[in-house]
Amino acid sequence: MKKRALRKDFYMEIRRTLNRFLSIFLITALGVAFFSGVRAAKPDMQLSADAFYDESNLMDLRVMGTLGMTREDLEAIRVVEGVKEVMPFYSVDVFCDLPEERLNVQVMSLPDKMNRIRVIQGRLPEADHECLVDQKLLDSGKCRVGDTLTLKSGTEDPLSDFLGEETFTVVGSGTTSYYMSLDRGTTSIGSGTLDGFLVVPASVFAMDYYTQICVTAEGAFELTCYTEEYDTLVDTLVERLEGIEEERCGIRYAEIQEEGQEKIAEAEAEVADGEQKLLDAGEELEDARNQLEDARSKLIDGRRELAEGEEELAKSEQELADARQKTADGWKELNHGMNKLDLEAIKVQNGRTEYEQKKAELDAGYAQLAQSDEKKAELEENLAQVETGIGQAEAAIQALPEGTPEAERQKLEAYLAALQENRKQIQAGLAQISQAKAELDAGAKALAQAKAQLDTGSDQIAEGYRKLEDAKGELTDAEAEIAEGEIELAKGRAKLADARLELLDAEAEFAEAEEKLLSGEREYEEARLESQETIADAKIKIADAKEELKDLAFPEWYVLDRQYIQTYVEYGNDADRIGAIGEVFPAIFFLVAALVSLTTMTRMVEEQRTQIGTLKALGYGKGAIASKYIFYALFSSLLGSLFGLAAGQKILPEVIISAYQILYNNLPVTLTPLNLWYSVTASGAAVACTTLAAWAACYKELNAVPAQLMRPAVPKAGKRVFLEVLPFLWRRLNFSMKATVRNLVRYKKRFFMTVFGIGGCMALLLVGFGLKDSILYIGSGQFGNVFVYDGSIGLDKDADEEEREDFWKTVQEDERISVCMEARENAVDVEAGGSPRSAYLVVPKDPEGLAEFIRLKDRESREAYTLDGEGVIITEKLAKLLGVSEGDTIVLKEDDTKQVEARVSYITENYFMHYVYMSGELYEKLYGKTPEWNQVFLKNIQNDEEFEEQMQTDYMALPAVSDVTFVSGTAQRVADMLKSMDLIIYVLVVAAGLLAFVVLYNLNNININERKRELATLKVLGFFDGEVSSYVNRENVLLTLIGTGAGVFLGIGLHRFIIVTAEIDMLMFGRMIAGKSYLYSVLLTFAFSAVVNGVMFFKLRGIDMIESLKSVE
Amino acid sequence: MAHFVELKQVKKLYQMGEVTISAVDGIDFQINQGEFVVIVGPSGAGKTTVLNILGGMDTCTSGEVWVDGRDIGKFRPRQLTAYRRDDIGFVFQFYNLIQNLTALENVELALQICKNPLNAEEVLEEVGLGERKSNFPAQLSGGEQQRVAIARALAKNPKLLLCDEPTGALDYLTGKAILKLLQDTCRERNMTVIVITHNSAIAPMADRVIRIKNGKVSQETVNEHPVSVETIEW
Repeated sequence: MKKRALRKDFYMEIRRTLNRFLSIFLITALGVAFFSGVRAAKPDMQLSADAFYDESNLMDLRVMGTLGMTREDLEAIRVVEGVKEVMPFYSVDVFCDLPEERLNVQVMSLPDKMNRIRVIQGRLPEADHECLVDQKLLDSGKCRVGDTLTLKSGTEDPLSDFLGEETFTVVGSGTTSYYMSLDRGTTSIGSGTLDGFLVVPASVFAMDYYTQICVTAEGAFELTCYTEEYDTLVDTLVERLEGIEEERCGIRYAEIQEEGQEKIAEAEAEVADGEQKLLDAGEELEDARNQLEDARSKLIDGRRELAEGEEELAKSEQELADARQKTADGWKELNHGMNKLDLEAIKVQNGRTEYEQKKAELDAGYAQLAQSDEKKAELEENLAQVETGIGQAEAAIQALPEGTPEAERQKLEAYLAALQENRKQIQAGLAQISQAKAELDAGAKALAQAKAQLDTGSDQIAEGYRKLEDAKGELTDAEAEIAEGEIELAKGRAKLADARLELLDAEAEFAEAEEKLLSGEREYEEARLESQETIADAKIKIADAKEELKDLAFPEWYVLDRQYIQTYVEYGNDADRIGAIGEVFPAIFFLVAALVSLTTMTRMVEEQRTQIGTLKALGYGKGAIASKYIFYALFSSLLGSLFGLAAGQKILPEVIISAYQILYNNLPVTLTPLNLWYSVTASGAAVACTTLAAWAACYKELNAVPAQLMRPAVPKAGKRVFLEVLPFLWRRLNFSMKATVRNLVRYKKRFFMTVFGIGGCMALLLVGFGLKDSILYIGSGQFGNVFVYDGSIGLDKDADEEEREDFWKTVQEDERISVCMEARENAVDVEAGGSPRSAYLVVPKDPEGLAEFIRLKDRESREAYTLDGEGVIITEKLAKLLGVSEGDTIVLKEDDTKQVEARVSYITENYFMHYVYMSGELYEKLYGKTPEWNQVFLKNIQNDEEFEEQMQTDYMALPAVSDVTFVSGTAQRVADMLKSMDLIIYVLVVAAGLLAFVVLYNLNNININERKRELATLKVLGFFDGEVSSYVNRENVLLTLIGTGAGVFLGIGLHRFIIVTAEIDMLMFGRMIAGKSYLYSVLLTFAFSAVVNGVMFFKLRGIDMIESLKSVE
Repeated sequence: MAHFVELKQVKKLYQMGEVTISAVDGIDFQINQGEFVVIVGPSGAGKTTVLNILGGMDTCTSGEVWVDGRDIGKFRPRQLTAYRRDDIGFVFQFYNLIQNLTALENVELALQICKNPLNAEEVLEEVGLGERKSNFPAQLSGGEQQRVAIARALAKNPKLLLCDEPTGALDYLTGKAILKLLQDTCRERNMTVIVITHNSAIAPMADRVIRIKNGKVSQETVNEHPVSVETIEW
């Protein structure tokens, strides 16, 4: 209960000076909020990310091998100490053709234990033909759930080498913690940029090795990533894993060697096969040729045979005709013979009839003869009678010719003769009878003879008939034969016709066969050439493979921790950057806050000088008196600190992280726990500052004796200012300005604090706007000032001559393109002693004309550079990172084998990525070959989106074109990427406003309190309110001007510092702050200042003259 | 209206919670143009309040305050300011000089806003500070500072010069010199000067003496023959 009066006084003091109490409260709150809030942003960002990573159980590291990873590797890793879990993982980068464009996607196996996919829509893939797509692809409207995607291999190897399926149905979409931003990294296929990922079941993969093995570390889950503990833990595991690398790699190497040998053997066998096949084919062809030859001779034979056959046929026809003629003749003859024979027969018949007659006659004769026999005998008697008489007449009868009754002739030559005659007659009668007999006999004989003759004739006729009959038979036979012959002839003719047809067929067949043979030969020739080529290739390949296998580098493992995950690192860098900003900004705030509370407390103690004196006079101890002020300060600052750290650490990190969530859109949570360290340090420092200030202020007063204290403090003496030494200047100032200047100089503390406060405000604003300028300048500077071309077309290196010609024709005819130039662009690693940096080597075809597309110039002096044959021109940031300057030498590496050294002739302005420019001349000198142009820089006549899209579509359709890029698109992407900075800028602007307000308000308040008397005097003198406030405001305006001026320098310095700190390696922020930003900053600072002065106007008006002018307390 | 200044039943009440305190409780007096008036009374009698009301620094709760034909009691704040600016010169016990301005500049400060000011340097010469005009207040003695204050008030060429214990912080001789200066000013410039003091000894030098006690005029006397201050001893 001691010193109750004092305690009461203390509470009363707070109540009475609530304004002051609150102002200390607020300024400490603000200071602490900013200090702890911005500083906590970094750990909070890390925590948020850690929570995100933990949620999906992101791998701590992954092991990749130059020769892939095997199941045995997996098992070997599993048992390494410190390994918690392992997971095999496949991935392959492929093309995914959509109707409008070709995407480069990474197909990955569905992870189970770690790197879990966060499903946003639909579900995870279950069947082999199902997939889950990157949410990014869904968001950008490139595909939808339910779509079917067709994949294409991105390399020369067929897709089936990697995947068992070609088309996949989208069943869901999701995100993975591996990618926190929209950037999906790079790939070796296509344009080199991944557009997204596809998740498919692991069973779809057809590879016999794992792409990588994901590993989580024992105990890492519990640690926060990005922290030293985490890094140490993972580093240890990395070392352990690298410990088994040698052994595992040895095994893998042997395995691959074996496999390789097998494969080579197989390939060799295949080549042998191929060669054999070729030989076989040759032989077959030869056979075929022989066969054809045979066929040809056969055909000729056939043709001849046919001719012969035809001839024969003709002959047989002739023969047949002859035969027919003959038969016809035969028939005629036969008929003739028959007729003759018939005549003969008739003759014979006649003869027979005659013969019959004759015979009958003969018979009659014989019968007569028989009668004559009697007569004979009579005659004989007579004869013998007559004979004596006839003996003489017989000579006459003897002369009778046979047959001729010439007996009559000499009828009686004399009957002489008559007896003769009679003898004769008897003789004759006997002769007659003998003769008759003889005659009869002769007749009989003749008849017999005739009969014989007739018989012979008959026989002959019969014979003739028979013969005729025979001939008839023969003729008939012949006729039959002829008929037969005719049939046969017809047959022969038909046969011949057939044969002819056959021959025709055979001829056609032959022609065909010949044709076939020809084409076969051609084919064979082609095939031979081809297969010879293939075989030669295969042989080369085999040789290569052998060589390769021989040269096969001993495999290496890459044990990559999270430092090799792009977004992990980028996010970490961003957090570090915020951390870096947190090192500077809050400190300014804090400093200002501390100064303000110090001033406030000092003022308070000064105000209460009399009371201190009184208490002292009453005998209170120093401690008791000082405790009031110290506690006052302690209370206000402590409360302020608590409020500040709670508000600051909750709001600021939240705001900053949400700003970054624009970039890291996958980050789902923001964790903003109170950070003990920053809480304690910030509030501790704030409280200590204020309290110490109070103590220090008291200390001075407490040392004075009470009597001195109770007298009014001697007012600060007026002083001449330096300006008065310059009368020509001083005289020019009007009266109020003089007063103002004097006042400013008089209150130095206020002067500096206000200048510092306003300068700080101005600097913050300038940094805020300047940051935006600098960042936007990456886009506008790079794509408006450095890259002045509108677009570029990448040429497919595999395109053939015709396709290229086609392309060039299109380009030349295209009216949309105003000008274009060929160039070569390829990625290189640039080195100058230290670690290598990735850059693009650009070789323009025409170094003189390059300025129309890319301006090479010094950033500051604007001196333009031209490429020569001596050295390269490299970009500014690259030079800075490599630590080289003009005249130094850098090493350009394309891979491990190709590397050249070049001298840097100039360093050029550049903001985005790194470039090395080289003339074609130098390229030839360095690489020993002419550069292969693979890029065409363009300038269009128009730049709107639609126009460029149309061009892109048109050119992508050409086979020679591999990609079409427009600068506007890239610029837009860069701008989008950096949009997240906007929010941070707003935070800065608001912060600056708050700072300006608090500082100005506080200082003005103190100022007015301190000068109440002076101001009251003015009032008494009849200064209107406006005049009074302008008397004060003039000072404030001047202070604001000076502060703004100082702020410009402070801001430029701070801006530069932050730009350099916050810059990532790939970028160079603009170093300039735009005039507009200066203007905005100045205007805003003025506005803040004006607001405070406006508030002060009322405060001034409230000054009570009487109270203020009463004798000093 | 014959009187240059006339107060009629001027009251000033302060409401302190439940209690009403009357600092001035119905004061009436008149002053003529060119008079040297001394208002005397013990501490807390209300003389300063009266002076403040008269000088337009304070307002009365009721009553009329006529100065040169205008009832300033009914003035709005801005009118009061204008009134102070043009018609009133103030001299305080603690000078209330602007520390950061030299003697001359302090005078000039007042002239900045005046309609028809006097020449600052001349006025300073008149108050005997011709030599010290470029000194800062801190470099001047109390009397000198008070002279500057008087010069500042005079230079405005006011109708009414109001002095609140002008010698309160000064030693005897200096005080006397200041009073002499005021008296001379009154005589030479025919300026109405009202001096508040608790020292009744100086009453004889005034044309009119108004005694105030407990917020009321207890006695009002007109000296037919005021004496020069030099002759007064206290």
